[in-house]
Amino acid sequence: MWRSLALAAALGTAVAAHAQQEVEVPKTPGWELIMRCVICHSVEIAVQQRFGPQGWSETLDRMIKYGAPIPPEDKAQLMAYLLRHYRDPAGR
Amino acid sequence: MPHETEAALSRRGFLIATGSTLAATALRPAAGDAQTPAPPPVPGKEKLIVRSSRPLNLEARVTDLTTYHTPESAFFVRNNYDAAPVDPAQWSMRIEGEVDNPVVLRLDDLRKLPALTQDVTLECAGNGRAFHQPRASGIQWEHGAVGTQRFTGVRLADVLALAKLRPAARHVAFDGVDKPPTPQAPDFIRSVPLWKALAPHTMLAFEMAGRPIPHLHGGPVRAIVPGFVGSASIKWLERVMALTEEFNGFYMKSNYTAPRADNDKEVYSLQSLEVKSVIVNPAEGARLAAGKVTAWGWAWAGEGELTGVDVSTDGGKTWTTATLVGPSDRYAWRQWEHAWDAAAGSHTLMARATDSLGRMQPASRAFNRLGYRWNVIHAVKVDVA
Repeated sequence: MWRSLALAAALGTAVAAHAQQEVEVPKTPGWELIMRCVICHSVEIAVQQRFGPQGWSETLDRMIKYGAPIPPEDKAQLMAYLLRHYRDPAGR
Repeated sequence: MPHETEAALSRRGFLIATGSTLAATALRPAAGDAQTPAPPPVPGKEKLIVRSSRPLNLEARVTDLTTYHTPESAFFVRNNYDAAPVDPAQWSMRIEGEVDNPVVLRLDDLRKLPALTQDVTLECAGNGRAFHQPRASGIQWEHGAVGTQRFTGVRLADVLALAKLRPAARHVAFDGVDKPPTPQAPDFIRSVPLWKALAPHTMLAFEMAGRPIPHLHGGPVRAIVPGFVGSASIKWLERVMALTEEFNGFYMKSNYTAPRADNDKEVYSLQSLEVKSVIVNPAEGARLAAGKVTAWGWAWAGEGELTGVDVSTDGGKTWTTATLVGPSDRYAWRQWEHAWDAAAGSHTLMARATDSLGRMQPASRAFNRLGYRWNVIHAVKVDVA
């Protein structure tokens, strides 16, 4: 766990130091949490998905299992953000 | 799964901090609703649509797939994870697992084996995912994660013979130098059954279009598994493992799987591509002058052999057999064309391929969570004046 957080912190520094690209996400509550996703992949990977609550929850759980630094209280906020902007009404 | 070491972690951190294709992202808040971000184009790949910049995923517009051999500038890129370029002089690959003679091979060793050159169509298993309803999970490919290249290399069977396969070997797994960004995420490793590994067309390739394989396409050496979904053709090879079972990892047991036809509660790992065709001309939304129009495109069938392409110019009410033209290679797409006498009005053109396995492109495809197997009949709407 410590190792993954240390790694995430190191990568976060790399991201900040080598910022080359800008993309836009809607600035509603929780938008800063997207930074936790872009430690490992570009934001397009996230925002081209459309899920319902189950789909987003499972996706975030998988990312957390892979080491995404998203504690439970942040998961709820990130879920709300993703469902507000990237929801498929017909999706799971 | 390979064990993790501090050295590996440190190497990853270094790669991520310095890799030229690993462009970092700065978030900028936008007003209003969600927009599709438009990342910058990749040098040499400006024609391609950027589906994701990190890892890099690029696809062609179908109207840019105009030649039998796809130019490098229009050839799609699908990375599960990015990799730093590998110096061909430093490259080596281990053959291990169910073998009596584990070996490490360098490029010079491969070049001593009999060479094979063949034209192969590669298609991402998720090509067409964007058309699934509701939206399926994964990169939202439309039509353009497909292309055809001339690959040169050696037969995997010859390489496995050097390592002396044991009788217990039933599958062969490929692992590349691409590694996930965290130690907990699964390595991108996929296997093929032994019959496919030993088939005379399955190769380890080191040239594409007569030149060393470019980094983005898996050089110095990549697997080429013709007829199978693109993910079987692992890039940047560093390890080949003979196994008694299908490789037990995320990219075999979870990703790149689809529900079984006889029991949709269970999944199988994707192997053959579907039978499929695309219309290159006319383009969607084209405005045409009345008269002769040559409708044309490509068709392919994975492990099947293409037997024909039917074309409809009236939205699928009536079908006419298209003419197959151009090169005919076992594992490459075939060009089809149809002389259409276009009358004024709005028309929907469709193409529908069939193959030797009795498969025909369907009018619909049942939703599957990961959005694979999209080979629904391609339709384009045009206006003729």
